[in-house]
Amino acid sequence: MSKAIIQHITLSAGETREVVILNQPNAQYHFIQEEGSTLRLHILCLTDSQTADEQWQSSITVEQNATNCRTLLYGMGLLHGTQQAHIRTAVLHNVGDGYSSQLFKFVLDDQAKGAFRGELKILPNAQQVEAYQTNRNILLSRQAEMLTEPQLEIYADDVKASHGATTGQLDESAIFYMQQRGIDRDTAAKLLLCAFFDEVLNTLSDTELQEKLVEKINTIL
Amino acid sequence: MLEIKNLHASIAGKEILKGLNLTIHEGEVHAIMGPNGAGKSTLSNVLTGHPAYTVTEGEVIFRGKNLLDMVPEVRAREGIFLSFQYPVEIPGVSVVNFMRTAVNEKRQHEGKQPLKAAEFLKLMREKKALVGMDNKLTNRSVNEGFSGGEKKRNEIFQMAMLEPCLSILDETDSGLDIDALRIVAEGVNKLKTPHTASIVITHYQRLLDYIVPDFVHVLADGKIVRTGSKDLALELEANGYAFLNN
Repeated sequence: MSKAIIQHITLSAGETREVVILNQPNAQYHFIQEEGSTLRLHILCLTDSQTADEQWQSSITVEQNATNCRTLLYGMGLLHGTQQAHIRTAVLHNVGDGYSSQLFKFVLDDQAKGAFRGELKILPNAQQVEAYQTNRNILLSRQAEMLTEPQLEIYADDVKASHGATTGQLDESAIFYMQQRGIDRDTAAKLLLCAFFDEVLNTLSDTELQEKLVEKINTIL
Repeated sequence: MLEIKNLHASIAGKEILKGLNLTIHEGEVHAIMGPNGAGKSTLSNVLTGHPAYTVTEGEVIFRGKNLLDMVPEVRAREGIFLSFQYPVEIPGVSVVNFMRTAVNEKRQHEGKQPLKAAEFLKLMREKKALVGMDNKLTNRSVNEGFSGGEKKRNEIFQMAMLEPCLSILDETDSGLDIDALRIVAEGVNKLKTPHTASIVITHYQRLLDYIVPDFVHVLADGKIVRTGSKDLALELEANGYAFLNN
């Protein structure tokens, strides 16, 4: 894996910044957010390559250094073959009156491996913070592996924070329900998986990219 | 239309259906009643091809074809529809998108072109009006957050969209208040034609006040043990299944 160069980016007061990391083998970012800034970041890992042996690694650190900041992190990985994607996030609420949410979703087939390590830290004086983290994963084969590590450190007492992580399989009762309406199994699975990723994709403001990705998902599946 | 001969079926190695015979002709409504655990839901699962059930003996002929050879989606496209006792929630898949896919898969099976967007919307409008389905519901994810009544009405709406020849209503009355029950039953009655047939699985006589059966069968211990007219349902309501023990 190539040596990482950490990109340091400061969001100035009131700035809204969108970052889309699409299939970057090694992405390392460190953001500092100033007063009232908003960061919207997407990490997207999916290719329909024949070799299916890509490895992606991303590490995103976000520090809210002033009040009224919003940090919105989204990610998806649709992996097959021996592809691997490791996503590490760290959201640090250094001051209060801030908001952060993280939503990461993986679908893993064949021998693919995914990892999500999400760190969330709310410092002692960072009151009135709302921070959420969600990681949902679907395994399509017995050999696929998902590692999920939510790490929450909360030192302030007047905060709202939650996290949830689930790893499961396709909902067989939903598949049968769709088959009973005449939809074949593959199409039913595609509908379910596209719906699963839609929650991440519909947050992209670039609707053209959104459509391209939906097409790509359908090609891969 | 449907001929079930000596059907034996099991789940997880346990035999539930133990030699069931049933013949259904076009235009008929058959009610199936019986105590808990008799095999009523197993019958609907076996007819629709649920993968958890294994048929160990017997045959089912549906419109001249061997039903048990078909995968579940082909059975559906051939005209079998199950109104589920517990309709499944499908987050993120809208009722519109779901029905467009289902209707066009069936049309393809019949060698027809897929419906154009305008034609599909017109069909949706007609069928929504027919079964009193709320506009708001069809844009939402399938069954997600629907009330019990809304879920059952969505089942009947899907039935209207797919126009099956054989519809199986598996405890369509469970969880419905009397008004919702009447609306759902009216929908079913409106969809009835001389060329369709229905199997109505229920615990209670009250549904049969609205969907009047031509035959009532009592299913007990995996077999049909008694068949009668609609009056049999009244008798069961009054006396229960005590006669089974004699």
